[in-house]
Amino acid sequence: MIASDLYYLMLLLFSTGVVSVFFTGSHAKLTNYIAHSIALLGSTVAILCAIFVFMQGKMEVVLPLVLPFGPISASVDYLSAYFLLILGVIGTVTSIYAYGYSREYYHCRLPLMAGLYNAFLLSMVLVFTVSHVVAFLIAWEVMSVVSFFLVNHEYEQQVNTRAAFIYIVMTHLGTIFIIIAFLLLAGGAGSMDFSQLTGNLVSEKVRNIIFICAFIGFGTKAGMVPLHIWLPRAHPAAPSHVSALMSGVMLKTAIYGMCRFFLDFLGAGPVWWGALILVLAIITAVIGVLYAFIEHDIKRLLAYSSVENIGIILLGIGAGMVFMSKQLPVLAGVAFSAALYHVFNHALFKSLSFMGAGAVLQAAHTKDIEQLGGLIKKMPYTAVFCLVSSVAIAALPPLNGFISEWLTFQVLLFLPQALTGIVGKIFSGLLIALLGLTGALAVACFATAFGITFLAKPRSKRAEQAVEAPAAMLVAMAILAGSCIILGLWPQGMLMILSKTLGEFSGLDTIGLVSRDWYILAPATGHSDGGISMLAIILLLFSGFAVGLLLHSIAGKEKTAVGETWTCGIIPNYHMEYTATGFSKSIRLVFHSIVHSHYETLVNANNNQYHGRKLFYHVRIRYLFVSALYSPINKAIISTARFMKSIQTGSVQLYVGYIMAVTVVILIWSTGW
Amino acid sequence: MNILLSVVQAVGVVLLAPLVAGIIKTAKARLQNRRGPGIFQVYFDFKKLLFKDSVISVTVSWIFTIAPYIYFAGAVAAAALVPIITTASSGVFDVFTLIYLLALGRFFLVLASLDGGSAFGGMGGAREMFIAILVEPALLLSILTVALKAQTTNLGLMAMHAANSSLSLAYVFAASAFFMVLIAETGRVPVDNPDTHLELTMIHEGMTLEYSGRKLALIFWASAVRQLIMILLFVLLFIPDNLFGSAIFIGIILKVLLVAIFIAIAETSTNKLRLFKVPNFLAVSCLLSLLALVAQ
Repeated sequence: MIASDLYYLMLLLFSTGVVSVFFTGSHAKLTNYIAHSIALLGSTVAILCAIFVFMQGKMEVVLPLVLPFGPISASVDYLSAYFLLILGVIGTVTSIYAYGYSREYYHCRLPLMAGLYNAFLLSMVLVFTVSHVVAFLIAWEVMSVVSFFLVNHEYEQQVNTRAAFIYIVMTHLGTIFIIIAFLLLAGGAGSMDFSQLTGNLVSEKVRNIIFICAFIGFGTKAGMVPLHIWLPRAHPAAPSHVSALMSGVMLKTAIYGMCRFFLDFLGAGPVWWGALILVLAIITAVIGVLYAFIEHDIKRLLAYSSVENIGIILLGIGAGMVFMSKQLPVLAGVAFSAALYHVFNHALFKSLSFMGAGAVLQAAHTKDIEQLGGLIKKMPYTAVFCLVSSVAIAALPPLNGFISEWLTFQVLLFLPQALTGIVGKIFSGLLIALLGLTGALAVACFATAFGITFLAKPRSKRAEQAVEAPAAMLVAMAILAGSCIILGLWPQGMLMILSKTLGEFSGLDTIGLVSRDWYILAPATGHSDGGISMLAIILLLFSGFAVGLLLHSIAGKEKTAVGETWTCGIIPNYHMEYTATGFSKSIRLVFHSIVHSHYETLVNANNNQYHGRKLFYHVRIRYLFVSALYSPINKAIISTARFMKSIQTGSVQLYVGYIMAVTVVILIWSTGW
Repeated sequence: MNILLSVVQAVGVVLLAPLVAGIIKTAKARLQNRRGPGIFQVYFDFKKLLFKDSVISVTVSWIFTIAPYIYFAGAVAAAALVPIITTASSGVFDVFTLIYLLALGRFFLVLASLDGGSAFGGMGGAREMFIAILVEPALLLSILTVALKAQTTNLGLMAMHAANSSLSLAYVFAASAFFMVLIAETGRVPVDNPDTHLELTMIHEGMTLEYSGRKLALIFWASAVRQLIMILLFVLLFIPDNLFGSAIFIGIILKVLLVAIFIAIAETSTNKLRLFKVPNFLAVSCLLSLLALVAQ
């Protein structure tokens, strides 16, 4: 079997990558090229392995490792192969990108970073492929710890360390729930092997508990609101290519876990499972994009946008679960393919955005978009790639984001078939309206992010001195931008893969996913002939463009004059430009109940009231979930600790006294009095 | 055959859009006891702009240059999707596609507004986005009232369904909801004032301040097309009891004229809202849509 050989090769390569840094560590440049080349090779092999699994069928191997709980088996079915494919694609590109980006880290523990990078890839491969409960949990834990170290890589900045600690606490909180879910399942099945695990052997009550635990556990890793607070802190703290990998692939391990549990282990459940996911999904999407819009740290903005996209993915999953429980396999198939399509899309365009942000960060040394501007002239290629990613994230046609968003809209529209009656209609209506709100906010958010970063005049010296990114980084971004365009123009190819991926699960029917005509995307939902044709959209756009050009040139050659932007007679400077904070002001005002920004203050720096005033404008956002949920918990823990402190004084006499008291109590109790 | 009809109809919509804009202008002038310009004035304006020189700022990049084309292309592509002649169920005429094509144009125009680097442009862009964000849920909800009934988002089937159903309370609610969205989306009083360049009131015009000559002409034309698309959607999807058959075409034209005059009346009889009252305006539209869903 070629697939299993490739699988071993891949594991071997990533492990070599980890080991290699011990030998090349003294030479920064060598470390960069060797470690990242090995990662590049390993990721390419991952793609090949996934392709061979899709062609030859499911692959099972027993790893030559003996652990106390028995041999570790790995099995790559289509679902695993799909996620392995994502990891391969994103891993390949981030490795190319890392050649250029690692130059920043030549004096900042590069060997450690490169080794951890390989280990991170290896652990994610294992998470996607192992089929044994304990092995899965070990891989999961390794992934969390390795990414913790990567987040904490630049520990000189205190904010990074804080982010890393919040991350590790939250991710372990999630892991607890995952362990509970797995143990309950394994206890019912009497086996730790994935193929034996099934929800049919446990009682209804236990099944519900397993569902809740798996949902909370994986939801934490996915960054679902209100468990998302680690995500916007941790993702910006890591080096940019690792941020790309974390957002693009690591968040998807949670989606993989959910698919494994909900599709494979548990199967169709009661309707409220899906409804619960839907409600939390839409909250996640709206909150995520709202916070992204008001953010002006470019990497935090992207992290919040990841929260939003996780919400959109969960909408598909939730709707799919509702359809499954109502025995509507065709619609469930469409719903899950919408979710998984968006998984792939999000991996592509979010990695691309993080790479673009990394290029900007490397060139201008700031993440604050209020300091940037005018970069389109200094970094023309990076600007084009960032524009592609912005259009894709904003889900605008003709790029890939539009297709998964369209599929999600379709799925939500058919929700009343499962949830009949007036409640279903209103539920579906509200979900669609809020998803529309999310989409519009995403458009505004990325118009701001791109516009403020790349357009108009530079707002600081740093932005003025920016130069174009190194070739390796540009190549990496070009590959992803190309993939975004291809997946937008030819979604049928992706749907074929998805139809195969999801076809193996009972409860889903994906045969109708691939339509008869190659140019039409029409998921056969059995109730309409609705569909879209990306080819037609492109043609229409091009012909519209051509008509525009024609009208433009109808009156002969245009005479143009060049002049400064009109600013009522004053010489324009960058202070007159609109800022991201200004751009989102009206939205902050309208959504002030969610986005508490009443810390806005105008500070007068010198004392003169009338002339030469130097004004500073500060905005501080109070985050709803932090203030409403996490701060009280924090306070409770701290006050408990204070109370404990007064008991635990550290004086030996007191402890002897405690022992005495306990002994007396036990003695009295043991006499049966 | 479908594609050919679709092209014919796109050309028709694009060519007639300025006429409808002119009719609204004239009707408004008459209602205000003015003579007003003729109904063909918009064409003349377009011609005038076409032969003027243009001034381009030194600050701008290629985004500024391509934005008018994309704005125009989005409008034309969306115009081809409106089911006037062709109601066949080919996989192109999708309502989400139409909405997102319009959003594509808006995205690029907002980018262009930031490109100039002036406060006016940014303010126009920010306000346009603000309105667009609020309009989107209201727009989708009102469309959903029809889409849920027809069980499809195919525009042709939705139009057919609307044409073949009888007038009901649900349609009254849905149509009023969509009319409010139409007002907001096309930038009309009470949400935006299409006739002003005043700093305090402008929204859409603020974005186009840096444009001149032919590019401005393209943007004007595209805006007219977008307005006609919204009116057509209103006519086709929200007015049931269509005179299907031979009279369909005349029926549609008559209804478009009626809606245009109605817009003029609505514009004349209301004041412009404060910007932060717009959310309430659109919230009413959302509620009406929900009522329409309940009444179905």
